[in-house]
Amino acid sequence: MEPLNLFLKKLRLLVTRKRFGSELDEEMAFHRDQAEREFIDGGMTAEAAKHAAMRQFGNSTRVKEKSHEAVGFSFESVWQDLRYAARQLASNPGFTAVITLTLALSIGANSAIFSVIEGVLLKPLPYPHSEQIVRLFLTSAEYPKFPLNPFDFLDFRARNKSFASMAAFTRDDMQLSGSGEPVQLSGFGITSGYFRVLGLKPQLGREFDFNAEIPGNGQQVILSNRLWRTRFEGAADIVGRKITLNMKPYTVIGVMPEGTEHPGNDYHSLPYGESVDVWWPFEFEGNSSQRGSHYIEGVARLKDGVQPAQANAEMNAMMAQLGREHEGDTGWNVLVIPLYREVVGANQRMLWVLLGAVGMVLLIACANAANLLLARAAARQREVAVRLALGAPRRRLVRQMLTESLLISLLGGGLGAALAEGGVRALVALLPAGFPRAHDIHVNALVFAFTFLVSIATGVLFGLAPALQASRIDPKRGLYEGGRSSTGSARQGRLRNALVISEVSLACVLLIGAGLMLRSFLNQLHLNAGFKKDHVLTASLSLPQAVYKKDTDIARFYDRLMANLSTLPGVESAGAGSDLPWTGYDENAGGFTIEGKKAPPHQEFHARYHMATPDYFRALGTPLVRGRFFTEADKDGAPYVVIVNQAMAVRYWPNEVVIGKRFTFADAPKEKDWFTIVGVVADVKDKPSSPGAEPAFWWSHLQQPSRDMLVVIRASSDPRLLVDSLRDQVRRLDPSLAVADIRLMDQVADESIATPRFSFFLVGLFAGLAIVLAAIGTYGVISYSVSQRIPEFGLRLALGAPPGDVLRLVLAQAAQLAITGAVAGVIVALGLARVLRSLMYNVSPADPLTFTAVGLGVVAIALIACYLPARRATRTSPMIALRTE
Amino acid sequence: MAKKPDLLPGTLDMLILKTLTRAPLHGYGIALSIKRLSDDVLTVEEGSLYPALQRLLLQGWVKAEWKMTETNRRARFYTLTAAGRKQLGVELSQFEQMIAAIGRVLQDAQEA
Repeated sequence: MEPLNLFLKKLRLLVTRKRFGSELDEEMAFHRDQAEREFIDGGMTAEAAKHAAMRQFGNSTRVKEKSHEAVGFSFESVWQDLRYAARQLASNPGFTAVITLTLALSIGANSAIFSVIEGVLLKPLPYPHSEQIVRLFLTSAEYPKFPLNPFDFLDFRARNKSFASMAAFTRDDMQLSGSGEPVQLSGFGITSGYFRVLGLKPQLGREFDFNAEIPGNGQQVILSNRLWRTRFEGAADIVGRKITLNMKPYTVIGVMPEGTEHPGNDYHSLPYGESVDVWWPFEFEGNSSQRGSHYIEGVARLKDGVQPAQANAEMNAMMAQLGREHEGDTGWNVLVIPLYREVVGANQRMLWVLLGAVGMVLLIACANAANLLLARAAARQREVAVRLALGAPRRRLVRQMLTESLLISLLGGGLGAALAEGGVRALVALLPAGFPRAHDIHVNALVFAFTFLVSIATGVLFGLAPALQASRIDPKRGLYEGGRSSTGSARQGRLRNALVISEVSLACVLLIGAGLMLRSFLNQLHLNAGFKKDHVLTASLSLPQAVYKKDTDIARFYDRLMANLSTLPGVESAGAGSDLPWTGYDENAGGFTIEGKKAPPHQEFHARYHMATPDYFRALGTPLVRGRFFTEADKDGAPYVVIVNQAMAVRYWPNEVVIGKRFTFADAPKEKDWFTIVGVVADVKDKPSSPGAEPAFWWSHLQQPSRDMLVVIRASSDPRLLVDSLRDQVRRLDPSLAVADIRLMDQVADESIATPRFSFFLVGLFAGLAIVLAAIGTYGVISYSVSQRIPEFGLRLALGAPPGDVLRLVLAQAAQLAITGAVAGVIVALGLARVLRSLMYNVSPADPLTFTAVGLGVVAIALIACYLPARRATRTSPMIALRTE
Repeated sequence: MAKKPDLLPGTLDMLILKTLTRAPLHGYGIALSIKRLSDDVLTVEEGSLYPALQRLLLQGWVKAEWKMTETNRRARFYTLTAAGRKQLGVELSQFEQMIAAIGRVLQDAQEA
């Protein structure tokens, strides 16, 4: 029979279900009557025949149920189970609320973290066949990721066989004027083929051709969809129009469609997403044999079937060949990195660690739910026994109890999804600035599917053990004993203890993880920073070339500003430097000559170069290790002086007296070309997470003035009080000058550790949640066990045991669970901490302090959680205890 | 109480259909008929009989009608339909194949 027909028949029977039932009843009654008559005919008494007939017929309820099942839809019994489960839950609102809320919280947290993972890691990059797109960098031992030289790029593009297309780009913003207020646009200079590499096509017009790369042809521009709509009203005739950029006319040759996302860049980076406003053609100016300057970033699309490693090998061979052709190209290799890894690589592990952490919270919530269900199953033992006795198949009972736990977990999941919606918004707000693809993080269908699956898995996970346990009840015993302590409860007790132990151990693992992250975070912040970030105000100044034409003008301005600032009340010292610590400054000077030393071949001397005024180090709190700081005397005309950091001193003058040593940038140095080292200062890393400080030196700003400087003021009290005075002092010297980026050094430092702080904050949050859940779980189990042992305690007290003994008895039980859990947790954490190694800074993954503190703390918390039930045990009245027996 | 052999699995439908080839019967009649024809060897459990009847009804292999018995009581009588007769043929031939196959195996085992 065809399925449709069968379905229709079933449907008809569903509608006439009542009649179906009554007809079946009548039919069965007839059957019993017939049988009874036969027994009477066989010589039985009426009474005996009735019983015999009923016995022979068996369980009529079961027969009816089976008949219903034969003709019914399978969902009907599911519906029955659901209604039953809903009734059960509604009759026990406190229990339902506790389980549902803890699950909602943990499922919501999981969904929120998953949303981040989905948006950042799982969602494909917004380019067709994005797996073929790679980024190109130069690499050497000193500079793992270095931008390309434009003429190297041209050779790469012309000679390679691995790539379908190759392009380069570099950030350079532009000012749009003309109609309306002038605005600063984020812009990129791109080579021809840039959009072809990304697999994108202009929605209007075309992209740049090779002609545009020729110097002088570059006054063309491609607009973003957003700019086109907001500034040019989406004019259909925009292509061909001239617009004013940087006070010059540019011809619009194309408009990119909506959703044209920036693939990310290393230098002066712009956020991912639709963050670029204009693209202009990169012009290859200059002498193509000069290969020393590196400032463009490469991006390319692999040919079908070519692996990044193959392409990398080809490029390395090519680079070696270029090294033979041009002196400036020696010592480099090429780095081909898949775009995906370049975008998310650094954060991948952290996100998986977070998902792992939040998954553990969910497991703890599951264990808690399972424990609560077990406790309730014990209370429902008699009900289950009765239903078994009435012929309910065990399979059906298991299904029914699973239905109940699934209903709870789905309720929790629904609520959790709502929480996730809010949680994701909070998470995105918490993400460090510039986090890749943050704009791609949303709660979407995939996240809902994940939430749903997690909810189902959760329900089965915490429902299965209690359900199986309940179905194992022996109906006879269950009925006789009425749910009192039985052998079943010993097994249950063991299961419950195991659950609590695993809860405690998981919480322990999370706390250890959080502890390690906290220590690593604090280490980054405080360990050998090389400066003191408190009480420091910073600001940036930029002297326009039009006004400050000569070096002496620049030097004089900063000299006077510093002098004026230092006399202000509340200022301890005021200085200025080319950069601030921990801001990722990485300007290098290479190729200098050290007096009396020769650089090994292909390893020229190099170091980070900076400028500093006399009080710069004093204001930052960077200690002087040897020699002296700059003074007013280190000015133009005086012998050139430099200050080096310890890393530079150790690198180039190991075990030597550094003060008085000299180096020069001149090829044929005269006496005045030498820079003499007058001081050594403590190391400051480029970024807090850098493994160590790079060799670096400082020029005296009076001898090597720079227009763009960062002012650093150390205050004796709150540095914020000095903001107005700073503005005032600058205005007095030059009213047209803007004081930008006014920030506390504390803030600057904070931003530089935003990522470790983010992960520590979340893991800490999850660990906190975990320990609260574990404490609730321990409390629940001990509390239940106390209530089971009330008669025993009553008896003990009646026989004269001091209450303290009873207290100790209960706490000992709790301690046993907690210590077992803590030990297991410590062992698991030791195994897992390896995963965290890359997220750690200067902390051993087996840090004894963290492990000991967490282990003891967890046991203490568990004991505190059990104190209430333990106290209750000591207050047992012997009378009550005996009466319950 | 001596244990009676269980019905071979899957044969209940066939037995019910076969019983109904002679005349329409009610549930009790079917159970009685199978019991008598098998010389009390086969007992149809009521717990299986009624669900099976519902299944056969649903498949359209039998029809049910409320009629009066000789003793003037209302009872549901089941009648074999044309589709049911065809199904019986199918099941019988499958059953015979099965029995023949089992027989061959057993015979082989005896000879060995």
